[in-house]
Amino acid sequence: MRSSVMITLDLLHQVGLPDVLEACHCRSPQGSRLKKAARFYDNHARDELTEELTAIGRITRLVRIKHPQLVEAQTQLSRLRELRGTFSRLEKGGLLDDTEFFELKSALAIFGRLSGLSELSEAASVCFEVTADAAALLDPGKKRNPAFHIYSEYSPELADIRSRKKELEREISKNKGAERKSLLIKRAHLTAKEDQEEEKIRRNLGAELAKWLPQMQHNAETCGLLDFRLAKAELAVRWAGCLPELRPQGEPAALVKVRHPLVAVHLEKQGLEFTPISIEIRKGTTVLSGANMGGKSVALKTVFLALLMTQLGYFPVCESLQTPMYDFFAFESGQDGDLYRGLSSFGLEAVRIRDHYRRSKTKTGLIVMDEPARGTNPAEATAVVNALSKVYGESGSSFLVATHYSISPKPGVRFYQVRGIRPEALEQFPGHLHEVQGRHEAVDAEPAAGITSLAQPDLREDLTRVRRIQNLMDYRLEEIDGVHSIPSGAIKIAELLGVDNDLLDEMKAAWQEE
Amino acid sequence: MTDAVARESEAALLDLAGLESLESLALIGLSKNAGKTTILNHIISAWQASGQTRPLALTSIGRDGEKEDIVSGRPKPRIYIPSGTLIASASGALHRSDALLEILELTNIRTAFGEVVICRALSDGYVELAGPGATKEIFGVSDMLRKIEPDCLFIIDGALSRRSQARAGVSEAVILAVSAATSPVPEILAEKTAFALSLLQTPAIGGKRRIDLVNAISENPTARGIVLNHGKKQPEVVSILLPSLVGFGQEISKEMHKNTDLLFLRGAVTDLVISELLRESHFVDLMLVVQDGTRLFIKPDTMRKLHHRKIDLVVLDALDVRLVCLNPTRSNGQLLDPQPMLRALRQKITHIPVVDLGPSNL
Repeated sequence: MRSSVMITLDLLHQVGLPDVLEACHCRSPQGSRLKKAARFYDNHARDELTEELTAIGRITRLVRIKHPQLVEAQTQLSRLRELRGTFSRLEKGGLLDDTEFFELKSALAIFGRLSGLSELSEAASVCFEVTADAAALLDPGKKRNPAFHIYSEYSPELADIRSRKKELEREISKNKGAERKSLLIKRAHLTAKEDQEEEKIRRNLGAELAKWLPQMQHNAETCGLLDFRLAKAELAVRWAGCLPELRPQGEPAALVKVRHPLVAVHLEKQGLEFTPISIEIRKGTTVLSGANMGGKSVALKTVFLALLMTQLGYFPVCESLQTPMYDFFAFESGQDGDLYRGLSSFGLEAVRIRDHYRRSKTKTGLIVMDEPARGTNPAEATAVVNALSKVYGESGSSFLVATHYSISPKPGVRFYQVRGIRPEALEQFPGHLHEVQGRHEAVDAEPAAGITSLAQPDLREDLTRVRRIQNLMDYRLEEIDGVHSIPSGAIKIAELLGVDNDLLDEMKAAWQEE
Repeated sequence: MTDAVARESEAALLDLAGLESLESLALIGLSKNAGKTTILNHIISAWQASGQTRPLALTSIGRDGEKEDIVSGRPKPRIYIPSGTLIASASGALHRSDALLEILELTNIRTAFGEVVICRALSDGYVELAGPGATKEIFGVSDMLRKIEPDCLFIIDGALSRRSQARAGVSEAVILAVSAATSPVPEILAEKTAFALSLLQTPAIGGKRRIDLVNAISENPTARGIVLNHGKKQPEVVSILLPSLVGFGQEISKEMHKNTDLLFLRGAVTDLVISELLRESHFVDLMLVVQDGTRLFIKPDTMRKLHHRKIDLVVLDALDVRLVCLNPTRSNGQLLDPQPMLRALRQKITHIPVVDLGPSNL
């Protein structure tokens, strides 16, 4: 995944991918390993991705009807242990101990049970090798219980030694003192013989089992695949994900009512609802503008996550999604400067702008930038963003950019904006002026002393106000003709938050001059 | 000690310790080589001799049952178990066992000697016990064993270390093993044993304060210390988060004031911890609660100081010590006459039987 997804770890966390992986609950070590590997399916692996996604789609149907085979599969998968160590010892001809034989016996039982779940295996498009004969090696007495020891059935010699030993042990239990001691010594001799015979059996048994190694390894991997696909299907059902449709290279991505699963969960906890967004991303540039607080950053992350999840073989969380397969993904945020490392934020940004651009010359990428060049002076920043929009507008990659700067219409550049706060919604914002007066008095009050008082203003009232504005916000995206049709809304928000009239008048006057 | 006396003691062992009605038992040693394994062997053979039908289920906290003591290099008694016994022991220790063992379950509990495995003995024979290191894991092992044999007597051979003592809550009852290693002088041995016993048997906190404390602990499960201050209706709870108790006496004392009537400390409470607390003036006239008697590592002098400060020492979980067993062997291996030691011990310890079971019959 590393070379195909260009994003800082911090941003990757902000986008929410690690949380997606966390929420995808694999039960076996084999499944967890596949999940951690986070395979990125590029265009060469289109068929494999199609197979992966359709398999997950079929499993979601079983998950929705709570098919009884799922519980059995989950139980079996959660009992499966990491087998690589034992397999490797078997491969190298090492002598296995009873614990390892037991481990193999349990694994073979699990393979047997899982391969019997035909509807699930079919849905998941996995196929187990028959290993019943290997399992039989570990159950010579056909006892069909999960326990294991080196059974007397393995050799008549062993059976003989053990029956003599048993006789002796009976004697020992009846005797005390010197007689018992001499019996114990006799027993020690027999035990040594038993050990020798057991070792011979272990060696043979290991050699016999080693012949089944390819099948056992295949089955262990199959368990991992089944586990991972099952976990992804459960996640898809939990988050109401959809089966994405893979389009040919160069075609637009169309996302309908896409949601950010983790932001949505977070909002739900506060009794709020995530507003799904819809957007079409063609090759070229897509500019996203709109009001402050309009959720542009969330929109970018939501779109990026949905498309990235698709190419990692997960169901994106949306009503429907069609997408070409990108060769690489890149996400940049102008907020990503590093104050403490003392690195210039634009310096770092410039490096990445350079890299992505070079890469886009030979590969088709999805390049997302959240307010690039925000740390630069507005005039130059406008130039930078316009240039980026222009060059990507003519490229085969898709460039999705959120910006406050004015971008002039060019070929290959499309515009979206966040709907923002509608005038009719504003009427619902009650009596803010009255409340603003009250706030004045609070500010006038004698300030508390000490440095903590600087950092802890009474924000409760203002937070409520900010939250109320958020409630008025229409986060949906709409395509517009290109020219910035509305201001970013910063002055309106300042007004709603009770900025003093004199200052507000100055802001409005300055905006008129612009 | 003659065989006759040993046999007599062994037969009486089940009665003395009331083992037949127990579900679980822990063996605690007062010192290294106190004779816990010997006691275990005696219990096993007494259990068999009396024709008990309930199976035994054995494990140890830390390692036990090796041929030689890892620290001193002297021979250690091994454990000889009858067919049908369940054991929970690390895979590395199973290699050194010669009973025919059937593996029933893997626990996912890792130790330095490998994963702890649940086995059933299909023959009589020697085993080596190397169970889990943490109390939490002992609970897990106990659950697994009980699922296999709900009726078993679960015995934990506790190693001697502050981290891994068999603790209250893990077992219903305790047998204390003492040896001449603690002191070869009968009177001193008796003095020390009686004091250790009094710590182990520290009474439990009861009444409303117990309820308040238990609630406070469940609300602050990671707190090192909890202070309960006298309040109008409900006590005020202050939880103290610390990496350890030692070295943080001041931090703990800081949370106490004149309304404080209870201090709970989680972990080993040593002389050092107490001496740090004694430096603080608010550490006076209150109830000091520790988890159980195995967490107390204090000398009589410290006990006296606590008494002077009107500190009432109690535990959350009381230990039910059923029996004190003497091993009259010094740490250098020299066997002493047990009689003067038994006399001295019995003089000091009158409420619990004191016996010498003799060497185990291996």
